[in-house]
Amino acid sequence: MIMAEPAARQDTESPAPVDEEALVRQARRGDLSAYDELVRRYQERIYATVYHMTSNHEDANDLAQESFIKAFQALKTFKGGSSFYTWLYRIAVNKTINFLKQRKNRAHMSLNDLDFNAEHDPDLVALISDKTPRREAGLTELQEKLNAAMLKLSEPHRLVVVLHDVQGLSHDEIARIMDCNIGTVRSRLFYARQQLQGYLSDYLRPT
Amino acid sequence: MNENENNFESLRRLLALKRHEIPPPGYFNDFPRQVMARIRAGETAESWEAAGASWVLKFLQVFESKPAFVGAFACSLCLLLLLGIVYAERPDGTPKSALLASVIQPTISLADATSSVLAPSSAPTGLMISTNPVLSLESVPSLFGQQNSLVQPQSSLVQSVNFWLPGN
Repeated sequence: MIMAEPAARQDTESPAPVDEEALVRQARRGDLSAYDELVRRYQERIYATVYHMTSNHEDANDLAQESFIKAFQALKTFKGGSSFYTWLYRIAVNKTINFLKQRKNRAHMSLNDLDFNAEHDPDLVALISDKTPRREAGLTELQEKLNAAMLKLSEPHRLVVVLHDVQGLSHDEIARIMDCNIGTVRSRLFYARQQLQGYLSDYLRPT
Repeated sequence: MNENENNFESLRRLLALKRHEIPPPGYFNDFPRQVMARIRAGETAESWEAAGASWVLKFLQVFESKPAFVGAFACSLCLLLLLGIVYAERPDGTPKSALLASVIQPTISLADATSSVLAPSSAPTGLMISTNPVLSLESVPSLFGQQNSLVQPQSSLVQSVNFWLPGN
């Protein structure tokens, strides 16, 4: 299963707005089955974002759950100025950044497994083919190096990379989630990529 | 910007690897159940709160969120216990007025022992019983150089009471 593919981007921009609004209204009235549906709808994207930020499954699990719980508790304060999805994302992102600030210098990676498709991804195959004869070992090594490099970035820079290059969100959506302007998003993305390119230069093919 | 995008093309391909990272199998099947269970547990706690059990929950929540409080609480309990033991074992811990009051009690007299020791011949033939410990006959000097009047039988505050056992 692939989490939050760029193909899901259109879905994130308008995930059945009518249904979502109805579900939110019902959940605000205390309908737990409606909120259960909202959790099912967004759990993978919220979990993925938090996981890519923390590089730790247990932390991501706790933070994702807490984000949904906090969102439910704060549902009465949700005025509908943005989509529920953006609002929920903001809660998860703020919670994660606060957590990472407290965890400073105590980062412990607990990486998830790679799915079957990774071994057949042509881009990844091309990246590792020159490095190691054993494809599986090469991917695992690449995964560790990539996550370690991501953790070296500051939280706002890491978040922009995760939301744009991994989750496939637009600059505009990221700006709304991070509550900043698009120019800031672009500059952060550029700087973060530069940093990553420096950290991972041994694993990147020259273009 | 397009040139920049091209420069980072290789990096973006590498970042695609992140999308292939997946949690353990079945994780997302159980996730909503866990979230809803925690929400229901929170609502239950709120109803308890309304029922008046809030202080217990808050107390426990403080311990859960800040483990240092557990240590502080345990230390304060130990300190209280130690203080209690120390004060209980200190004989001079009681105020002087309280001591005097206990001396004046007619049943058990401090002078009882002193009078019986000072004048054993004048004592009746019956067995004399006193619950007081044996005291020194020497008067104890006080801090201000005066004689301690507690052991003087002439003191107006002291009243001697003897017990007689019938049949002796």
